[in-house]
Amino acid sequence: MATRTQTIDDDAPQTMMNRLQAGFRPRPRRAHRLEQTAGPGSGARHELSADLLVIGRGSSADLRVESDDVSRMHARLQRLDDEYSIEDLDSRNGVFLNGLRVHAAVLRDGDTLQLGDTVFTYTEGA
Amino acid sequence: MGFFVRFWGVRGSIPTPGPRTRRYGGNTSCYEMRSDTTVLIFDAGTGLRELGLSLVRSPPPAGLELHLFLSHPHWDHIQGFPFFTPAYLPTTTIHVYGSEKNENYQLLSGQMANAYFPVAFKDLSARIVPRSFTGDVVQAGDFVVRRFDQRHPGGSSGFRVEREGRVVVFATDCELDQLLLDPAAARDRPDARRTLPASVLAPMRDADLLIADAQYTDEEYPKRVGWGHARANTVVDLALQAGVRQLALTHHDPMHSDRDVDAMVLTAVERVRAAGAELEVFGAREGVTLRLDRP
Repeated sequence: MATRTQTIDDDAPQTMMNRLQAGFRPRPRRAHRLEQTAGPGSGARHELSADLLVIGRGSSADLRVESDDVSRMHARLQRLDDEYSIEDLDSRNGVFLNGLRVHAAVLRDGDTLQLGDTVFTYTEGA
Repeated sequence: MGFFVRFWGVRGSIPTPGPRTRRYGGNTSCYEMRSDTTVLIFDAGTGLRELGLSLVRSPPPAGLELHLFLSHPHWDHIQGFPFFTPAYLPTTTIHVYGSEKNENYQLLSGQMANAYFPVAFKDLSARIVPRSFTGDVVQAGDFVVRRFDQRHPGGSSGFRVEREGRVVVFATDCELDQLLLDPAAARDRPDARRTLPASVLAPMRDADLLIADAQYTDEEYPKRVGWGHARANTVVDLALQAGVRQLALTHHDPMHSDRDVDAMVLTAVERVRAAGAELEVFGAREGVTLRLDRP
């Protein structure tokens, strides 16, 4: 009795499409985060979701820090192309990125930001 | 008001995207210095593409007027130009500065010959104006820029940029180690101060910020003599002798990961500490902006 064998053409367009559809999954998004590691309120974690937010001591700041070393409107965090940047808003004590005083910087995973006596560690989202 | 310096491309030789270089960045040489009214660009490496995108996000109503200074026309210093969006806008004016013959301008346009790139230089919509230094000084907007020669295969230019008493020196692609007064001492006693001639120190003198090529470690350099780049430790000694306040190590080697650059910066910091000096040293990093006009 004759047997029939079925061959699968791996490169056939339909087979490739099925394989891609089976293997492709949108990756879960992970939020960008700031964790406060020094200064008043140390230990606080902030998930960043807004495109624009202000860090400061003032009541209108989005991320408030109760420290006299921090200006009312100290620095601005801005998201562009899913990257966050920080910009000094002419604060009294400046913004230090990994120890270097900067006017602005695109943030990278593990960066430390010092605003007066307040220190944050930035975790990059994905 | 305002004297800002932004790093758009700090890598030497070839772009190096990828996780190993994500923090310092993989784009080649491009630096922006600006005031409220003037934009200077130093080098047109691949970092220029991102700078261009940034400039066209909020162009002034009268169009962009840009001053482009090229250290020299090696690939890693011009490759971004064909991808510079403002060059495609009819409202943009780009002044390209070079020597009297302005060979940099010719080579910048030459890389857009049909064999290399699909869009011809002559088809760019911007007004692109070759400009020559008169002597070694030009006034570009509200900045004064002084050019000086550097030691590099084919030659390169450094630039001293001054505005309202603040000074930034851009000095990439210079093999300082071939200019030492006593090269043997640097080889035999690496910890000893490496002395440079007064003519090399003069353009750097009392700079608030020196952005300098520091591609190699002491260990790497002997196999790369004549390639046109400096040892980081030699750059530190240059800055110390010239009375520089802040030193940005740049033109990072394409083989160097972020951790390698960190290690070079730490070595440099130790060298400054051993000298008992107050020079601040850091690694130039893409996306960082410094403000020079703070009190």
